[in-house]
Amino acid sequence: MKVTSHAVSFAVLAAFFFGTTSVAMLASDPPAAPDPAKARHDAMEAVGSAMKSLAAIAKKEAPFDAAAVEKNAGAMAENLEKASKLFVAGTGGGESRAKPEIWSDAAAFEKAMADGIAAAKALQAVKDEAAFMPAFQAVGGSCKGCHDKYRAPRK
Amino acid sequence: MSPGRRRRRLAAVFGLGGALVAVCLWILSEPSPLSASAIPAHTPDLRNGETLFRAGVCLACHKPPDGSNANAELPSGGAAFKTPVGVFYPQNLTPDAETGLGGWSALDFVNAMRLGISPAGTHYFPAFPYPSYRSMTTEDLLDLYAWLETLPAVRSPARKADVPLLTVARRGVGLWKRLELRRPTHASDGTRSASWNRGAYLVNAPGHCGECHTPKSWLKVADDRRHMRGGPHPGGEEGTVPDLHGLVARKRYKDAGDLTLALQNGETLGYEDLSSGGMAAIQEQIARLPESDVRAMSEYLLSLE
Repeated sequence: MKVTSHAVSFAVLAAFFFGTTSVAMLASDPPAAPDPAKARHDAMEAVGSAMKSLAAIAKKEAPFDAAAVEKNAGAMAENLEKASKLFVAGTGGGESRAKPEIWSDAAAFEKAMADGIAAAKALQAVKDEAAFMPAFQAVGGSCKGCHDKYRAPRK
Repeated sequence: MSPGRRRRRLAAVFGLGGALVAVCLWILSEPSPLSASAIPAHTPDLRNGETLFRAGVCLACHKPPDGSNANAELPSGGAAFKTPVGVFYPQNLTPDAETGLGGWSALDFVNAMRLGISPAGTHYFPAFPYPSYRSMTTEDLLDLYAWLETLPAVRSPARKADVPLLTVARRGVGLWKRLELRRPTHASDGTRSASWNRGAYLVNAPGHCGECHTPKSWLKVADDRRHMRGGPHPGGEEGTVPDLHGLVARKRYKDAGDLTLALQNGETLGYEDLSSGGMAAIQEQIARLPESDVRAMSEYLLSLE
């Protein structure tokens, strides 16, 4: 009898602890952590990694593959769109390489970002090898134009 | 001696001492240009002149201001060049007689490039990178000068630099030159290949990469012990100028072929590190060099371990 009552109290205690910790964990789970600088950095890293795969084709290190182009250029467009919404005023400085011109020259920056997205979508639609290089270079040129004006060197 | 007399005597000693120091500084900061005998007879090679213009990335600074309707392919000058010392408006390099190099002699050009002395006999601020250009051969300087003289003349009047105490500061550059221009000039290395040496010359003399990639001492003199080690952006921009050593070991580039492609294409081929801190405009000029020269530069740069 004693053994069972012990078992019961343990079970109650365990349930109590488990319950409170999981409630506490739920409560501390950040509701969409508001760190736009980190989120846009991650999105741009994803753009960079898609760019690597595409550049390998451009440099003839990898064969042309329409499916891979569609997948990577698609990921690029998607992440650029995500990033473009995350340049929230006041989130420059610190670790971020975002230059103040992004906000002082906001209309031009938004246009440059939209042009980049359009270039990535055009590359996504490429089906044959002949069309790949010009579409790829348009994307690269767009990255370059924007980075040149709006991204500081590594810190 | 009464306290009044002692004070007067002290003032006289300090006054005299100060005047003596001022005279010494004035003499030490005196520009001493080359004489006409420094210019050899030379038949210019115009193609080499253009190569040096691209390797020197002259256009990146001597461009017309953004939004002006001047031809952006011609070095007519006037675009603001911001430095922590102040804002400079680089010279018009087209052969316009009044506002460009039209009125210059070859000697004037060599004095500017090698000693940082203007035709009027004043010091240039080292925003104009003559500490690097002085390692260029006289023949190369004459080829570059001759090529610039073939460009269409553009009228673009000089604009005074926006630097506090401009005249005094300009004279003071003469004192700084006593340290900076005492550094050894670039020399070739007999144990290395011709292409390595070509690359080293292009990078260090006309290319003036070290003006940003080599950090400076507290006296603003290039620190040769930290040659191409990177550091703070000299324009006072955010971020750092990268170290150019160990580019392969640090997996920045695979080999000389990879760096050649990077310098020829920049970010249009996905080389994203060549688009910040002013590198994009530099890369675009390097891209217009003969491929063998870009390869030579790559070979040299990747040998910095």
